Amino acid sequence: MFALRGIAVSLTCFVLLYCLLSALVAIIWRPLKLLHVAQQSVADLLFELRILPLLASVVITFALVVPSFQRLEPRSIDEGMGIMPLTLGVWALLLIAYGCFSVIAAEIRSTRVVTRWLEGARPLKDNAGSLVAFQSRREAPPLTLVGVRKPRVVVSECTVALLSHDELCIALKHELQHMKSHDNLKKLIFRCCPFPGMAKLESAWSEASELAADDAAVSNQSDAVDLAAALVKLSRLAPVEAVPVCTVSFVAGSLSRRVEFLLAWDEASKARRVRIRTWFVVPLVVAASLLVAVAYGPVLAFTHEVTEWLRW
Amino acid sequence: MLQELWSHGSATVRELLADGKIHQAYTTVMTTMDRLYKKGLLDRVAEGRAFRYTPRHTAEELQRGTALESIRQLLGSGDPSSLPLSYLVEALGTHDAQLLDELQRLVERKRRELQGGELKNRSKPREQS
Repeated sequence: MFALRGIAVSLTCFVLLYCLLSALVAIIWRPLKLLHVAQQSVADLLFELRILPLLASVVITFALVVPSFQRLEPRSIDEGMGIMPLTLGVWALLLIAYGCFSVIAAEIRSTRVVTRWLEGARPLKDNAGSLVAFQSRREAPPLTLVGVRKPRVVVSECTVALLSHDELCIALKHELQHMKSHDNLKKLIFRCCPFPGMAKLESAWSEASELAADDAAVSNQSDAVDLAAALVKLSRLAPVEAVPVCTVSFVAGSLSRRVEFLLAWDEASKARRVRIRTWFVVPLVVAASLLVAVAYGPVLAFTHEVTEWLRW
Repeated sequence: MLQELWSHGSATVRELLADGKIHQAYTTVMTTMDRLYKKGLLDRVAEGRAFRYTPRHTAEELQRGTALESIRQLLGSGDPSSLPLSYLVEALGTHDAQLLDELQRLVERKRRELQGGELKNRSKPREQS
């Protein structure tokens, strides 16, 4: 019973912290989009903010809630389990199960889709660095980076026929940047931490990571124009649909923003773009850890007090 | 309404309302039946100035189909853009032709500018010499 109560209280704290922090993140992330810094920094900050609720709630649960219960809770067998820890504990378990299921389902779907695209595919002659690229014979998207552990690029036959050699090379370099940034892994991690209202943050991260990959792939204006040309050409591969007026600016915004960014690209502006190094977080984390280590006893006592009222 | 249709086998809107189990207005029921027909859940044949509707599936078939569709959507062939895959161009098929033409023109103009600049740079040393 003691162990069960401990698990229920820990899960309750975890889910409450997770929901509170997620709600907070869903409200406060928007100003990050307006930062005048390199897009890679924007993408990194958005990613860190997106996974912060999960990380923080796991760390606090395992570093404070579990030890405080183990050390300070009297091992009385008479105390029953309240309705709140029971309900929230079940909720937490459902949340964890949903996160795991989402990851597994995404992996299964990805494997299925990629297997279909790679049927009869052959290695691509034009390659970029350490990228393994395949020319798909099946109906596949124009150019896609697939896989988390062994990333590969699938290029459709139409893409090979449509793009010039230079355009294809720079497009492959763009995918190489996604591979270096582990963007597919990040997409999978997003699925581990489901929360309503995070779709816009993920969409902003996606747009920032595309711009960052564009920026990192090009090294001169000619590359930038080739990449912009490749973007426009590949957008034409898909059937053009009539889009409701109210959604055109938003949906098309991403493509036009990327093309405009590339056409205005030059070496000087790239050098001027400020990159926020996230190592500044390290001293903060070390300081917080030291503070908790020094005052661990009182912090545990405080945590125990806080968790006490969660047990009815 | 589907429940009522399943119990009747087939019915017109007026027959459904005549039972008194459905309390909506005639036009509401008519619109809903029309939507269910367009979604492929009902069949209909003209009967005078009205339609006679028949359910295309039994209750069990519909429930089984809904469950299978949910599982298929979760594990199967949903929107590939939601998968952990990185596309060079996302949201394909949602760009309108005019925008693409405009972007194409911008790219070509920039390319001409760059080529013009290169030609000028090449011709400058000759002029100087």
